[in-house]
This record gives sequence, C-alpha cells and structure tokens, in this order.
Amino acid sequence: MSMIVSSIGQGLLWGILGIALFLTFRILNFPDMTVEGSFPLGAASAVTLITHGVDPLLASLAAFVVGALAGGITGLLYTKGKIPILLAGILVMTACLSINLRIMGSANVSLLGKKTIFSPLAGLPKYFDAIFIGLTIIVVVTLVIIYFLQSELGQAFIVTGDNPTMAQSIGIRTDRMTNMGLMVSNGLIAFGGAVIAQNNGYADINMGIGIIVIALASIIIGEVVFGELTMNQRLLAITLGSIIYRFVLLIVLQLGFSTNDLNLISAILLAICLMAPWLNSLLHLDKVIKKGVTVHD
Amino acid sequence: MKRMISFTVLLAAFLLFAFFNTGKTTQSSQADSKTQKIYKIGILQLMTHPALDQIHAGVLAGLKQEGFVSGRNLKIDYENAQGDQSNLQTMSSKFANEKDDMTIGIATPAAQALAKAANGQTPVILAGITDPVGGGLIKSNARPGANITGTSGESPLKSQLDLIKQILPKAKTLGIVYTTSDHGGSYNAKKMAAIAKAAGYQVKLYTISTTNDMQTIAEKMVSQVQAVYAPQDNGVASAMKTLVNVANQSKVAVFPAVDTMVQAGGLATLSVNQFTLGKESGIIAGRVLKGEKTSTYPLTFVTRGQMAINTSEAKILGITLPNSVVKQAQTKGEIYK
Repeated sequence: MSMIVSSIGQGLLWGILGIALFLTFRILNFPDMTVEGSFPLGAASAVTLITHGVDPLLASLAAFVVGALAGGITGLLYTKGKIPILLAGILVMTACLSINLRIMGSANVSLLGKKTIFSPLAGLPKYFDAIFIGLTIIVVVTLVIIYFLQSELGQAFIVTGDNPTMAQSIGIRTDRMTNMGLMVSNGLIAFGGAVIAQNNGYADINMGIGIIVIALASIIIGEVVFGELTMNQRLLAITLGSIIYRFVLLIVLQLGFSTNDLNLISAILLAICLMAPWLNSLLHLDKVIKKGVTVHD
Repeated sequence: MKRMISFTVLLAAFLLFAFFNTGKTTQSSQADSKTQKIYKIGILQLMTHPALDQIHAGVLAGLKQEGFVSGRNLKIDYENAQGDQSNLQTMSSKFANEKDDMTIGIATPAAQALAKAANGQTPVILAGITDPVGGGLIKSNARPGANITGTSGESPLKSQLDLIKQILPKAKTLGIVYTTSDHGGSYNAKKMAAIAKAAGYQVKLYTISTTNDMQTIAEKMVSQVQAVYAPQDNGVASAMKTLVNVANQSKVAVFPAVDTMVQAGGLATLSVNQFTLGKESGIIAGRVLKGEKTSTYPLTFVTRGQMAINTSEAKILGITLPNSVVKQAQTKGEIYK
C-alpha cells in the first residue's frame, strides 16, 4: 500500500514539470529542450543554498529565479538571435552542465541531515510528506496559471501559440510572449528540480537526463486518458497523468520486468499514447467504450 | 470530465484510507520478519557498467562466503536504474516497502537514495563508494554512525604514485585527466594531485565533460607533461583508447587507476580489484545480518593493490619495466600483452 502512496506522492511532485512543460509544449507549440538543463540547475542552486544555511523554502524560490534566467536566455537566442528553438534549448541545456558544476563545486551534493521543505512533515505516515508538499505546490501553481491564462496577458500568450501571424497583426508582441513563456516554464521546472532534489536527499549533475520524457508523459497520458477537456481541466489532467505514469512504472517494476528495459517500456507507452487518436480511428474504440458504458447503465 | 472526477475521488479516498492505516501494517509485518529465516536483501545499482557489474558479482560472492546463498536463506531483489536517477527513489522505496532486511548500494546516488528510504532504520551497505563522508552518507570512516557502513572504492593513490616513480624516475610533470561530472573521478584526481605535489611533482589537471572531449584535451596534455595519471573515473575509463592513442604518438606513458584500464592500453597500475571490493562489502553485509552493528563497524578500505602491467604498451613506449614490478605482476597480478 505504501508503494502506491509513494507513487502518488512522486506523481504530484513530478506533475510540476508536466504543468511547466505544458506552457511551452502545448500552448506555445514548441519543444523546449532547456528543461533538461534548468531542472538540475534548480536542484543545484537550491541544494547548494541549503547546505550554506539558507532557508529551504527561500532556496526553492531562488531556484525558480535561476531557472527563469536560463529560460530567458533560450528565449533571447530564439527571438533575437534567430536560432531555431530546438537548438537554442540544447545550447542552454549544454551550458547548464558547466554552470551546475560551478554552483555545486562537485558532481554530487548531499542533503542528508540538512533541513528541507519536507522536514516539518517528518511526523506524518510514510511518504505523506511528499503528498502534502506536492499537493500544496500543485494546487497553488495550477490556480496561478489558471488565473494568468484568463487574464488579458494570458489570452495574448495563448493567441501567440495558436497563430503568431494573427497575434502580431492585432498588436501582440509575440517575441515578448515567447520569452515570458520560456521564463515561467523553466522557472517552474527549476523549482520542481529544487523540490525533487530535497525529496531525494541530493542533487546530482546527471539528474536532468530523461526529464523531458517524464514531463511529456504526464501531459500526453493525461490527454489520452481523460479525453476532450477545457483548458483548466487539462491542467488538472496533467497532474493526474503524472500520477498514472508513476503507477505504470510501479506496475512494470512489480511485474518483475528487467529494469534494463524500463526506458524502452516508457518509450513504448508514450508512443502508444501519442498514436491514440490514430488507433482510435482505426479500431473505433470510442464506439466500443460507449457501447460498453450504455450496456452497464 | 466524469472520468477525471471519479479518478480524483478514488485517489483521495485511497489516500485518506492509507493515511490512517499505514502505521498499523508496518508494526504487524515487523513482527513477522523476526520469525522469518530467509533474509531479504535489496541491491540497487546506478547503471550497467563493467566496474559496477564486477562489484555486484563480488557482493554475491562475499555473501556466499559468509553463508548466505540466494535461494537457500537469502532472497535477493536486484534493481538497476540504468543511469536514470528518477528511478532510484521508486526502486529504493520498493525495497523499504517490502521490508527488506538490508539494502546494498552500488554507486553514490544509489546509496544516497537507499539511505533516504531506509530513514535510519534498516542497514545500508555501501559497495565501493569513493567518498562516503563527502557524499553525506556517514559521519566518519571509523565510526559511520546510524545504519550505514561498507567499503570505499578509493584507489591506493600513494602506492600508485610510487609505481610511477619506480618506472619513470625522471618524470617531473604529471598530467591528471578526469571527468567533471564524475564525483569519484574528480575526488580521486584532486586527491592524487595533492599527494603528487607533496612528493615534488609539478601537477597539471585537465578535465573533460564528455568522452568526446578526450581527443582534444589529451593532445594538449601530452604536449605539456611527462607522464599521465588516469584516475578511477567512468568517463576516462570509457575514453581510455583515445587517450592511449594520443599518448602513444608522443611516447608519454599513461598510468591508470584500475586493471581494466591497463588492459585498454595503460602502462601499469597497482589497483584494487572491483570484484574484491564488492566481495568485501558482501562479507560486511553477511556479518551485519549475523548481528554486528553498522554504527560501529568501520568503513573498510581495500588497500592491497594488485600489480597489472601491459608489456606491449611498454614496447611501444620504449620503456623497460623494472624487474621487481614484472615479478610482482607475474606472481600475483596480471600481465596484458
């Protein structure tokens, strides 16, 4: 049972990344590789600050700022430097490796015995610290983003992603919108990195590898499992998708699959989810499901 | 939308149930484990890698020597995170959840994840962790404190430097190359630099961030130094062939930290065998299962090195290896041709 609790907790924490990536991947419509650099960047900044005696919450917020800076650089390279977005992201991601080493001073910094944002909840049943912290962060982040997307600025941001030419013609500064999206997204990713590093108990230089797949998985699984949704509901679906992804990993582990194949299995799972619309039209799953439901009703 | 609401409600109901029930289940199964005679051990490895695999094989051999055999009185749960660190926590909490009697961590992040999951309760055995104090795992080598002990994979740096002195008495500048993202590699490189400086060498440090950098860095290095030391470092070990090819062209000898790197073209080393290192951890694990306390069990350093030499490499470089070195390699070490 506590394994399931642990998975839900992990799902909530990693859900932050899904929501952050949603802003660039789905709304602005481009793949942002910066995240593989800003995630360990946030972890490195927060963990180093904490080991130097800074309050863990303050350190996590500082990670947001540092991550936003990284996103801002990608944005400038893309909008002003006219570097293709994929390349701009990869450049910043690569640069982050050296910067993270400078920040941490070594490839791995431990937090064992240090106070983290999870410490005050140590008295709760096992893994509930991650549940409570994760839930709080997810609720706050989701509400702020919902509020933002409903504002005038947020609407302009959405239009930029939908149709940049039209956005420009009605006077929206699309470059600014793109920069802002990248900054907020990477700030959140770095914040997520800071929180996850505190939950893991260490920051490691290589912890960013494969992060984009995890974040994408939450978005895509959420979309496939929960179907047609409004924008606000989609944000909630990402967190649930992130939890489902953790469940899948748990099931794979419990079934005794060789862990050597774990990456292959998550890739196959994602591919199936991405192919879902096509599979659906091919097999008419929709009708099958609807029939099944009506019969049971 | 309906699906989403029901899923959320289901999750919330489960969490509510779990919140009030987790404590109880732990107690009852703890009572069970006392009557159990089959020990459960979780082994967590960071990734598949020749040295780490050797340690893993050694751990099993060490446990066997202490009388713990898988299938008879031991159930081993082996997980390998394949370098993906987001898996480490899921795997170590799986061990904790299954009430494993002990966990064994191979590579620093794996050990850190286990230490976190064990939360000071079940023993954690370190297998070949280069710098456990620096990694925040234990308080001190002599008295680790809490629930963690094991072996350190630190190379016998002093003896390795002596070997360099013995083979190349005239060399005065020593180049050391390591990977910036490898904790063990940078730790060993910096420590060796300090030791060599104290011994009167002029030391130059070079870093690579990926194996792709080796060609360029090695070319620069061999033009500036008289001998090269390659520490125990995953990146350097992977790019050993590149390093040796470059060094051979300038007739600069490469002294690596482990025997597999001598096989890959290094000249000679006095190294700790990874299998022996793992075996020592296995023995410690066995003794702890028999009742020894981890908190006072000092961290074990495997210091006795085995001589390994590469005779064809010596020919290429035009170096005659001292007789004493060759003899040592013949009797108790390895000779690669």
